[in-house]
Amino acid sequence: MDIIMPQLGETVAEGTLTVWHKSEGDDVVTNELLFEIGTDKVEMEVPAPVSGKLEKIFVKAGETVEVGAVLGRINSGDASNDDQSSEESEKSPSSSPNNLAEKQYKSNLSLSDHLSPAVRRLIAEHKLDSSKINGTGRDGRIKKSDVLEYMNANKNSLHELSSGSQNADEPKFIDGKSIIPFSRIRQVTAEHMVRSKTISPHVNQGIEVDFSKVDSARKSISSDWKEREGFSLTYLPFIIKALCGALADFPNLNSHIEENNLIVFKDVQLAVAVDLGLEGLVTPVIRDISSLSVTEIARSVSSIARLARKGSLKPEDFKGGTYTVTNNGALGTLYTTPIINQPQVGVLSVDGVAKRPIVVDRDGEDNIVVRPIGVITQAFDHRAIDGAYSAAFLKRLKDIIENHDWTSLLS
Amino acid sequence: MVKNRVKKKKVSNQKIKKTARAKSANKRNDDIGEELRLKMWRYQLEVRHVEQRAHDLFFQNLIKGTSHLALGQEAIAAGCAASMREDDYSFCTYRGHAHTLVRGASMEGVLGELMGKQCGMLGGKGGSMHLTDVEKGAMGSYAIIGAHLPIAAGAAWSAQYRKSGQVAFCFFGDGTTNIGAFHEAINFAAIWKLPVIFVCENNLYMEYTPISEVTAVEHPAADRASAYGLEPIIVDGNDADEVFRVASKATEKARAGAGPSLIEAKTYRHSGHSRADPATYRPKGELEKWLKRDPIKLYRVRLEEFGTSDDVISSIEEEVMSEVDKATEVAKQSPAPSESSLLTQVWADGGSEWRN
Amino acid sequence: MAELTYREAVADGIAQEMERDPNVVFLGEDIGKAGGVFKATVGLYDQFGPDRVRDTPISEQAILGAAMGAAMTGLKPIAEIMFSDFLAVCWDIVANQIAKSRYMTDGQVNVPLVIRTANGGGARFGAQHSQSVENWSMMIPGLKVVAPSTPRDVKGLLAAAVRDPDPVMFFEQKSLYPVKGEIPDGECIEELGKAKVVREGSDVTIVALAAMVPRAVEAADRLKTEANISVGVIDLRSLVPLDTQTIFKEVEKTSRLITVEENPRLCGWGAEVSSIVSEELFWNLDMPIVRVTTPHIPLPSADELEDIAIPSVEKIFQTVLRSVD
Repeated sequence: MDIIMPQLGETVAEGTLTVWHKSEGDDVVTNELLFEIGTDKVEMEVPAPVSGKLEKIFVKAGETVEVGAVLGRINSGDASNDDQSSEESEKSPSSSPNNLAEKQYKSNLSLSDHLSPAVRRLIAEHKLDSSKINGTGRDGRIKKSDVLEYMNANKNSLHELSSGSQNADEPKFIDGKSIIPFSRIRQVTAEHMVRSKTISPHVNQGIEVDFSKVDSARKSISSDWKEREGFSLTYLPFIIKALCGALADFPNLNSHIEENNLIVFKDVQLAVAVDLGLEGLVTPVIRDISSLSVTEIARSVSSIARLARKGSLKPEDFKGGTYTVTNNGALGTLYTTPIINQPQVGVLSVDGVAKRPIVVDRDGEDNIVVRPIGVITQAFDHRAIDGAYSAAFLKRLKDIIENHDWTSLLS
Repeated sequence: MVKNRVKKKKVSNQKIKKTARAKSANKRNDDIGEELRLKMWRYQLEVRHVEQRAHDLFFQNLIKGTSHLALGQEAIAAGCAASMREDDYSFCTYRGHAHTLVRGASMEGVLGELMGKQCGMLGGKGGSMHLTDVEKGAMGSYAIIGAHLPIAAGAAWSAQYRKSGQVAFCFFGDGTTNIGAFHEAINFAAIWKLPVIFVCENNLYMEYTPISEVTAVEHPAADRASAYGLEPIIVDGNDADEVFRVASKATEKARAGAGPSLIEAKTYRHSGHSRADPATYRPKGELEKWLKRDPIKLYRVRLEEFGTSDDVISSIEEEVMSEVDKATEVAKQSPAPSESSLLTQVWADGGSEWRN
Repeated sequence: MAELTYREAVADGIAQEMERDPNVVFLGEDIGKAGGVFKATVGLYDQFGPDRVRDTPISEQAILGAAMGAAMTGLKPIAEIMFSDFLAVCWDIVANQIAKSRYMTDGQVNVPLVIRTANGGGARFGAQHSQSVENWSMMIPGLKVVAPSTPRDVKGLLAAAVRDPDPVMFFEQKSLYPVKGEIPDGECIEELGKAKVVREGSDVTIVALAAMVPRAVEAADRLKTEANISVGVIDLRSLVPLDTQTIFKEVEKTSRLITVEENPRLCGWGAEVSSIVSEELFWNLDMPIVRVTTPHIPLPSADELEDIAIPSVEKIFQTVLRSVD
């Protein structure tokens, strides 16, 4: 039988064994004085609970141990000895929680028919069709996260469901005000913009790029191009091509942030921002863009923009982007600070390219020349990317744009 | 029936006899003196007339709820108040208009509170049973029997700790002597030698039941004193001078650090327990017998015997009555408490907010 | 930083305040010379002497009545009620006198006192010495109610309670007395009415109090590793004032709320929190609010029974698993 340190007082957790009255190997008789314990308040004599041989002492006189600690063992000769401790007191787990279930009303509806308040609200606010939402909750019910996923996947085609929300042509003023409600796309865009800014610490970096070489290439085929393709060849496809090269050298920018991890992607799936007039912004993805030529890039960009504006794209067309580019240059802006397309870490804004006087070095002397100059700005997520990395990336991008043999690439 | 009209006395042979009596009375009552007596006279009149006015206003439906009047018990509050310092503390029961008035609380504060008006000393939020004027040392009227006895002991403890010399008076009824808090408080005060004076106003009835039927001893307070190592003290609660003498001794003892006292003052209430009680449980003749010992009546005679002139005696009463009239008017004119005061003063910041 | 047990933090907190303010006094049964039956006030008598640390008779009404009288007249008393179940013995002083006097006197009376008491089960003391009764205080207007879960909060919240000009009910959970925790050096003061997010989570929010907080955290850790459920835990710390904003902020994120309390089934603090959230955040909820409580029974003394009755880590774990989809 184990001899244990007794509970000495309310929530006193320890006791000191002050003196053994028996030694190891001694015979003891029931109720014979076995040992003494003490605290600062109390001294207690403890008798032997059974007769037998004090076969082992674990705790020496003067030691302080926890209440319940084994101090020694008496062998009372009974093989099936009552070891009163541990085994019995281990609670059978099955006796725990479930037996204490409080009475509950048993509803007849299956959960799959239930739409929780959170779900109802989202559906109402965004005028969604619950029959189109896949439920992954218990009994197949639609959970809040199911709705959010659905919305995220479909944010770009939600305008199909809109019913001519905006009448921007002729605003009707009442009391000097015209109220234009947000379309679904506008709402989703708005939510995404706010969320992105909340999540990512945006840092904007710009770099001036000389587009002379690109211009040469463009000019060399411009007339043929428009006839052949049906749209103009802008700076954008060249920049995108250079972007692929730069991202290959600076792959961390071609990534997503998930919790505390940076997921770097091998290939660039480039999201291109397409403006849907006043309805909002969508970002369809051009797959495996690194393998495309400038010409192919130009064609892809043009077609995807056209399809997006027509509303012909499917949800898959918007998924999986690893980097985003937004072209704001049509109206000659100097630079733009774009908003990151979550969960990516970088977005590039291409702005106006215009003739500007710059200084070049000719034979050791400074000369002013006129060149087509444009500012390219990257917004990056400072959680994952630092300024130096971004700056180096922009430098690389600039180098490629300024020094590549674009003309030969086009033919 | 309580008389509250002043009778003007005509000069007569009676007066010559009274003067002779007065001369001998002077010597007998020298330890108190005229000034203090006039103070106690005024106190008792203030209580009597405010209580009477409250009685009348209740029947005019201007005072709602309930009111516990101290008609007939004025001498105890007056005698004790006369023995107090301005900065002493006093605690009383829900029958506490008297004890609050004698500490110097304003009449319109009292009447206004009873009528539930803004000018009420508690803004209309406490009511008749909780009259309090902390500035004057009246630390509250308490409606749960016995609760304020340990609280008074606490105030005494504070005075002891701060060595301020203050004492705390604690007034309660005979019924209180049978509740737990009474016993806890007196034991507590005795062992810590707290400067608290417990004054039991034994008006013979615990609410509607004769106290003798529910108490194991004859004198509900005095017979318990020895259980706590205290001296039994019984005093005629209708004689303000006697009350004053006993109270003064007790305050002296308390200020000297010699601990608490328990005083039992015998008295009688002229009205029922509360406004709702016509007091038909009283045996025939009992009220009449006690009316003969009306403290105001007694004290008027006492003053005359002492030699105070009738003019002075009456003019004080006239003053008091006119004060009561003025206060009644002020209180009647005062508006009901503003709605915004409903949610104020739960917390020290003046508000009642429990969440953000 | 020092490491103290929860019970040592009590004495430490009282000492800090008594050193700071000579008007702080302390009274209760066996709290002085004996250092308290839970040994939570050891050393105070020696440090501050018999004028400021006073042993009382077994007179709960007198203890709290005296504390109130002293608080009304310039002192800052800390009164101990040995077991929180005993509050029933002096409940008149708490509920009718201390809580109501300021309001009834329209602000004339101040009652800046602290009533500290050993609350809750787990020590096998049986039904009359084991109940968690902080909910009794929560429902009386005029009382502030605090229940710390760590030694640091014991000291900091006790300091805040002493300095608060209103009456504060300070519930120490007796099962937490031996628990160790870090306390910063120097003055330690927390804020009443501020809950603490002790564990971030995105799938479900647990609001817990006192001894239930470490159990909720342990269950949350298991839920992450075993079921990949991300559980946030809020230590409520104060029932009055109630930090609803922190609760709302977390539940807006997760849309799921579970409360864990040691109170019996009816009218525990969890019922109030659940009611507030379901009324004000109804449209954010993706699941009904679930309360984990002790069943509506007096507490048994046998250790196995008591351990089943009081919400365990396992029970919290199973409840989350069952409720969250």
